[in-house]
Formats: sequence, structure tokens, C-alpha cells
Amino acid sequence: MAHKRPTGAATPRSGAEVQRSKTVRRQTVGMSTEAQDGDDLQDRITNFLRRNFPQIQMHGGSAAIQNLDRETGEVTIMLGGACSGCGISPMTIQAIKTRMVKEIPEIETVHADTGMDGGGGGDAGGMSPSFPSETTEDDGDAGADEGPQAPF
Amino acid sequence: MSDLDPETFDSRKYVEDFPKLQRAYKNAFETMNDAYDSELVHAIDQRVLNESEPLYEDGAFRIDLPENPHDRVTDAGVLVDEEKLSGTLDRYVDEIEAELRSVFDLDGE
Repeated sequence: MAHKRPTGAATPRSGAEVQRSKTVRRQTVGMSTEAQDGDDLQDRITNFLRRNFPQIQMHGGSAAIQNLDRETGEVTIMLGGACSGCGISPMTIQAIKTRMVKEIPEIETVHADTGMDGGGGGDAGGMSPSFPSETTEDDGDAGADEGPQAPF
Repeated sequence: MSDLDPETFDSRKYVEDFPKLQRAYKNAFETMNDAYDSELVHAIDQRVLNESEPLYEDGAFRIDLPENPHDRVTDAGVLVDEEKLSGTLDRYVDEIEAELRSVFDLDGE
């Protein structure tokens, strides 16, 4: 069936490797203070998603940075939770792809996936709950609360 | 007469008009999900429409679809023959276009 939600652990790797790697794996939106090596870009992506796509969390979904490669400017966003079957994720994916490359200059390519299983790749790597639904804590002044309005 | 034009639609669709687009897609999804094989509808939603692009051309909405929808759906593990997929997808696209006309108040023009 289309949307099972494995909640596996996030791709374990050796700690040192993860720390050093320029690739950041699975940073859940809304919890943006881990794994950073001067990681402003990651925060900006997180804030971009939270600010511009509040609908994701409002619909019980989540958005996580699954992979970020600074050198190539490629980012993979995993939409999970209710997003994988709510009918608005296709547009959300297109909007994220279109807008993120325009609004975050370092980003050249955006991959987005809802983790629907199937051969296409995205193995069910586990979906972390994210976008803790209570808006901001410390990171973001105006960032996180710009009039999110669920359209329905 | 609507003041919608292709350029305006294109520049606004993922920003100001994004909630309208979402509403249209969601309504279409719900209609389809009620009427057709839910697994297939989900697969189309997740594997085909996720690479689609709504366009406004010549006074009408059009949904630009990715190539090989059948491969996309079957890659997701949903077995369906081409004919059934094609029929369901056509209906789905019609539904989205109708919803777009509705949310953009273009019905009856």
C-alpha cells in the first residue's frame, strides 16, 4: 500500500564520518541545531520550508532534509507523515523545487520525495516526525510565523 | 472575463496562488479517491502528478504530465494495465482542470 510509515532510525553511520562529511543527512525541519559545521545553509533551507510551506505541518505532514550536498548544490527533501497521501503533495513538491532554487542561491537542484515505496529509489528510510507543531523556539525571529494559513 | 493570463499564472502559481492550486489538487484527489481504486489514485498522485506542472494557456488550464506514467506507477509497485491507467489518469487530469477553473473562478467563461 502506498503509505506506510516506517519510523526507522536515521541512517546510522560512524559518528566521525557523519561529522566530517560535507553531506548532511536527514535533518528534520524544525530541529535545526544539530550536526552543524557552520551550517547556515541548512538552517536557511529549514526556515525556508517552515516559512513558505506551513501547510505541510498543518496537514500533519513533515519535511526533512534528507541529503544536502553543498558542493553540487543538491538537496533532497523528504516529505512524510500525512503528506504522502493527502493530494496536495504533488503541488507542494513542485513549489518547493521551483522556489527553493530561486530563493536560496546555493541550491541548484532540489529532489523531493514522499517516500512512497517502490523501486524508484527512496527506500523507506524512515520518516522522522518533524515540524514540531508549536512554531518557533529560539531560531527565528520572524522566520517561522508569517501568517500560515491552511487553504482548506 | 478573467484577468488571468499565462504569465501571471506562471509567476504566481507557486506563491500567491499556491493555496488555490493546493485546494484544486486536493479536491481532485478526494473526488478520485472516492470514485476509483485508491491505491492507483495514490500512485498517480505520488508518482505522476508530483512531476506535473499546471499551465494556463489559450484561456484554459492544462496539466503537463511527465513521460511514462505507466512505468512510474508500476515502479511504485502498483500493477495496472496501460488502458486502466490511461483512463484513470485522464479522468484525474480532467478533474484537476475543472477544480482549477473553479478555484480561479473561471467556470462559465
